[in-house]
Amino acid sequence: MKEDLLAVAETAVAEARRNGATLAEAYAVRRYEVTAEVRHGKVETLKTACDQGLGIRVFDRQRAGFAFTTNLAREAVLATVARALANAAQTAPDKYYALPEPEAYPVLELTDPEIKMTPVENKLALARRMEDAALAFDPRVKVIESSSYQDSEVEVAIVNTLGIAASYSSAACGLFVSLAAEEDGESQTGFALAYHRRYRELDPEAVGREAAARAVRMLGGKPCPSKRTTVILDPYVATGLLGVLAPALTGEAVQKGRSFFAGKEGQEVASPLVTIVDDGALAGGLASAPFDGEGVPAGRTVLVECGVLKGFVHNVYTARKGGTRSTGNGIRASFKSTPEVGMTNFYLVPGSKRREELIAEVEDGFYVTEVMGLHTANPVSGDFSVGAAGLWISNGELARPVRGVAIAGNLKDLLTHVDGVADDLRWFGSKGAPTVRIRDIAVSGR
Amino acid sequence: MFTKELLAEVLAAALAGGGDFADIFIEEKMILGISCEDRKIERVHSGTDAGAGVRLVKDEGTFYAYTNDLTREGLLAAARAVGRAANGAEVRDLRELPRGIRLVISQPPGAVPTEKKVAIVLAAEKAARAVDGRVRQVIVSYGDVTQKVTIANSDGVYVEDERVRTRFAVHVVAADREVLQTGYEAVGGFAGFELFEQQAPEDVAVAAARRAVALLEAQPAPSGRMPVVLAGEAGGTMVHEACGHGLEADLVQKGLSVYAGKIGRQVAAKGVTVVDDATLPGRYGSYAFDDEGEPARRVVLIKDGFLQDYLYDRLTAGREGRSSNGHGRRESYQHKPIPRMGNTYIAPGKDDPEDIIKSVKRGLLVRKMGGGQVNTTNGDFVFEVAEGYLIEDGAVGPMVRGATLTGNGPEVLRRVEMVGKDLGFTIGTCGKDGQGVPVSDAQPTLLIPELVVGGTKAGNGLKNCRIRRL
Repeated sequence: MKEDLLAVAETAVAEARRNGATLAEAYAVRRYEVTAEVRHGKVETLKTACDQGLGIRVFDRQRAGFAFTTNLAREAVLATVARALANAAQTAPDKYYALPEPEAYPVLELTDPEIKMTPVENKLALARRMEDAALAFDPRVKVIESSSYQDSEVEVAIVNTLGIAASYSSAACGLFVSLAAEEDGESQTGFALAYHRRYRELDPEAVGREAAARAVRMLGGKPCPSKRTTVILDPYVATGLLGVLAPALTGEAVQKGRSFFAGKEGQEVASPLVTIVDDGALAGGLASAPFDGEGVPAGRTVLVECGVLKGFVHNVYTARKGGTRSTGNGIRASFKSTPEVGMTNFYLVPGSKRREELIAEVEDGFYVTEVMGLHTANPVSGDFSVGAAGLWISNGELARPVRGVAIAGNLKDLLTHVDGVADDLRWFGSKGAPTVRIRDIAVSGR
Repeated sequence: MFTKELLAEVLAAALAGGGDFADIFIEEKMILGISCEDRKIERVHSGTDAGAGVRLVKDEGTFYAYTNDLTREGLLAAARAVGRAANGAEVRDLRELPRGIRLVISQPPGAVPTEKKVAIVLAAEKAARAVDGRVRQVIVSYGDVTQKVTIANSDGVYVEDERVRTRFAVHVVAADREVLQTGYEAVGGFAGFELFEQQAPEDVAVAAARRAVALLEAQPAPSGRMPVVLAGEAGGTMVHEACGHGLEADLVQKGLSVYAGKIGRQVAAKGVTVVDDATLPGRYGSYAFDDEGEPARRVVLIKDGFLQDYLYDRLTAGREGRSSNGHGRRESYQHKPIPRMGNTYIAPGKDDPEDIIKSVKRGLLVRKMGGGQVNTTNGDFVFEVAEGYLIEDGAVGPMVRGATLTGNGPEVLRRVEMVGKDLGFTIGTCGKDGQGVPVSDAQPTLLIPELVVGGTKAGNGLKNCRIRRL
């Protein structure tokens, strides 16, 4: 039943046009996935999967409707087009609805034949090596929660009534490990992950050791006293906070009054050390693709440059409404959803200092390696208050583990208080950041 | 649609090369989502997601494959993909299980026209705007899901079931000059359109709008350690995060739970009883059968402070030579079942909620909780306070904003000092191992003598806060 995705999408668009839709677009995806998870040497889960589906968007006299299906047989596709048109009849008209016209797309290398060619036994072996490296790192590493290898291969096709008919394939693979270290009846968790475009770039030993180190160094952690102090965020935590900022940097949030950056273009919104970029065509980027979820070419957008807000990312709709061009940021979570404004490869540009220098310059401060409840940060007001754990810095050195404390503040202040950005950019999926130092943050502990 | 003969053939194909157990989970999910923002209906989305997952368990390892191809050939191909092991079990005759409970839907989503659903969304938007001129943005969303499942396994279990869930949420942004605040309120249940007979959409909207507006004038929360009263109406985020996850058998067996090896021991204060009951009528986390075809039941986890049981799926139960207690759930056919909560709650006690507040000299009253997260290995949790007030000399004082509660689950449960006689539910989607499932949780009003309140005010909590209040 391996239907040709472009042909299925063309059928859907032709049907929508035949039924009088002013504009129509079909987006089809097929995805293959392998997950190989081991625990203490044994296979825990081996998953192989294939799924596919089609999302249809129609604009009928400026009213938008959407429907999706996982059944790509002709009758099911036609029925889905009919549902999309019926849904459109229920929505309010909006003169900014539009679809993009064909344009040239960047040529990117997105697949690695080695991912597909490598037998599953070898993939399981990578997960075992990662587990072994973690256990060998320190005798206190006792429990492996999960050690897994994962890869996926995706085929995407898009067709619209303005002449776009394009497709691409892309693949990625990665390793993930989570574990616990134990000592004197106390348990602490650690994890690490690494996703790549190329199979050869996977380094299971490095990932295993990193997770082990994260867990072991937290043993014996205690709350610190409450105070305002300098904090250093490791790349994982910095990336998490950057992710909370992402919605506020979209054209959609600005137009809907949900962004604290609205109206601040050209103004200083962060420390001069802060440059934030989204790049949908970044070489090796996990979110890289020739075009976005609407068929607009992927590109690079500088959002904040040396502390000055330069602009926002847009899809076709928000660009038209805001009198600008789409930045190629019409992102689909899957074929089951419409292209919303979102980030592609989104990162904080690294600075020039080494991580060790940032730490050495701090007399008394908090090196944060874990935050909990980040999803509760308020992207509208910028307020956040999260549980945190990490290491206390004394006289320029990481001195002792700290846990059970909270750090709180407002993202706006956080940005302006940045006083150090390291050169160690790391990616966590399609978001990345280096180590970041921020002064004057409220830490509540004992 | 899928005959027992076909399903038996698929299970046999999965077990052809060997294995201890096989099952198949077939699902057809129909969804409708409506959203309103900027005073207009922006989205009406619908769709059908149909597929099947075939699982083979061998030597405690799980082999899993899924597909959207529901033809005989498609199902057999998925079965063959998992069937690469040795020494096999046999497929027993498939027979239907007796239904323990029947969850009745009086107004199924398919029988209610989309216009009617759109109308309540618009009514809620209007009601929220009418609350206050400072309401800047109103986002209303409605969603219903009808999930038809067929479950069969090599032990002979055969279940056909339909789950219907409806959810309605209102998100309000209020603004006063530079200050932006948000209010959120959601209702949902194992229910069709009858959900709105008990909870008028306008009331949900007004509650969200009033909270957003009130927060504009709230002062920043204090920070530091202090007594906390969790009101019953605040819902059960605390029990879900601080206790529920640590009682899931997979985490317990992996040695990743603070509750491992503690059955029969006291793990909470006397008076604290924790239950997970997926059979409650109409609740968001309810189901008649779990996603392995096991009938749902009420499971007492902690009784009067003593640990009684964990939440099991088939695989974790089998490891201990016992049976599942009906908590094997999965997000969809694309996922293997794992132990999950349904409707988790702390049973009501004897204290009057008013008296609980009166007993506190200075502390924080939480009327509405937000989201949370827990580290099940050490029990540390954090959750946000969506609506909180200072308690001063036993009376409810001014509202505060931006607070989170940080603590340690087992420690909090051991230190609960008073348990109210009320019980309030909240709904949510619980994420674990990349799978989201609908849950609800509840608790009575509780007094916790000390929690870390993380606020934006620095310093040592209340002393500082009193100074600033002058």
